[in-house]
Amino acid sequence: MRLTFLVAACACVSLAACGGWKSGQANSAQGNISKDSRPPATPDANAVGNDSATNGMVMLAVALPKDKALAVMKERHDGMHSVADALKAIHRALGPTPDLPTVRANSAKLVQLSRAGSHWFPAGTGPDVGKTRAKADIWQNPEDFAAKFRNFQAATRAFDAAARGNDDAAMNARFADLDGTCKACHDKYRGPEEH
Amino acid sequence: MHNHHTDWHIWSGCAILTLLIFRLLWGFVGSSTARWTSFVRGPRAVAAYLRGNWVGIGHNPLGALSVLALFIAVAVQVALGLIAQDEDGINLGPLARLVSSGTSDKARDIHELWFDVILVLIVVHLGAIIVYRLGGKNLTRPMITGRAVLQAGTQPMRPGRWWVALICVAIAFGTVRWLIAGAPPFGS
Repeated sequence: MRLTFLVAACACVSLAACGGWKSGQANSAQGNISKDSRPPATPDANAVGNDSATNGMVMLAVALPKDKALAVMKERHDGMHSVADALKAIHRALGPTPDLPTVRANSAKLVQLSRAGSHWFPAGTGPDVGKTRAKADIWQNPEDFAAKFRNFQAATRAFDAAARGNDDAAMNARFADLDGTCKACHDKYRGPEEH
Repeated sequence: MHNHHTDWHIWSGCAILTLLIFRLLWGFVGSSTARWTSFVRGPRAVAAYLRGNWVGIGHNPLGALSVLALFIAVAVQVALGLIAQDEDGINLGPLARLVSSGTSDKARDIHELWFDVILVLIVVHLGAIIVYRLGGKNLTRPMITGRAVLQAGTQPMRPGRWWVALICVAIAFGTVRWLIAGAPPFGS
């Protein structure tokens, strides 16, 4: 109970510090959700560098100093590209006669990457700090973003499990679900490509 | 492509490819003015036309260049789209599996830039039609109705046969269906 209060207090402080408090509260559905209706925080939600199975998103920390922020942003950028590469490899390997070794190697990679992604969005790594396609909205809607990211993480695990089974239809269905989680987040929180 | 309607996008590309294939075939077996051999001419004919020495119906030698440019530009765009994939690898073009992931990404980048080439050609094309119209010549009506006032010394158009058109449509349709299936046995 005390931990929930601590998390909620940090959330309020971070939102106020980000300056998105007004637009978050007044205009978005997320801002108007009461504290009690949010999912309970996991014990690891505030632990930096804790790579446990709970996949807690680490977003509610004090903003990083700039050099550390840029390092995280680079890791995030490279990580997202690795996710895309794995997805593309899987998509090519799926078909009437799937190349299962390739699918499985990449599905395992996706589980790993999605887990690492818990640490890619700490406060202070937004577009005001450097070049990134991550929109400021992410830190103005941390619960919604974290929920969408957890959906992505769960979808990678579900797909990985299906890929190791015998049911091709289930595997394709889980892959479609996984694609859906990418889109759900990107549609709202990723900015356009810059050439 | 920022409107996320990738399904419609790919569908449109397939529809355009069907039209391209039809037009290509019709250019061999269609009405006299539609045939490639009737209007595709060399640079000397273009120069003669510019000097005012061309007599004929259908596409003049300069217009022929425009037809070819547009046809080729759109064909290039469709070809690139066939092998492209979107940046997240969620949507693949019908033939993307025949090439590597890197090639598909490159194709997408060019596909995006190439649209501007087509846009320029469209503007030039429309501009030319307007200029002719202002000069008293309606180019588009004869194309649609098949009727025009002929210059002296020209032969009227010989219309194409409807069943030949139907066969061309069927071949175009079948070819695109085959490509959508990944062009077996080459792919899928």
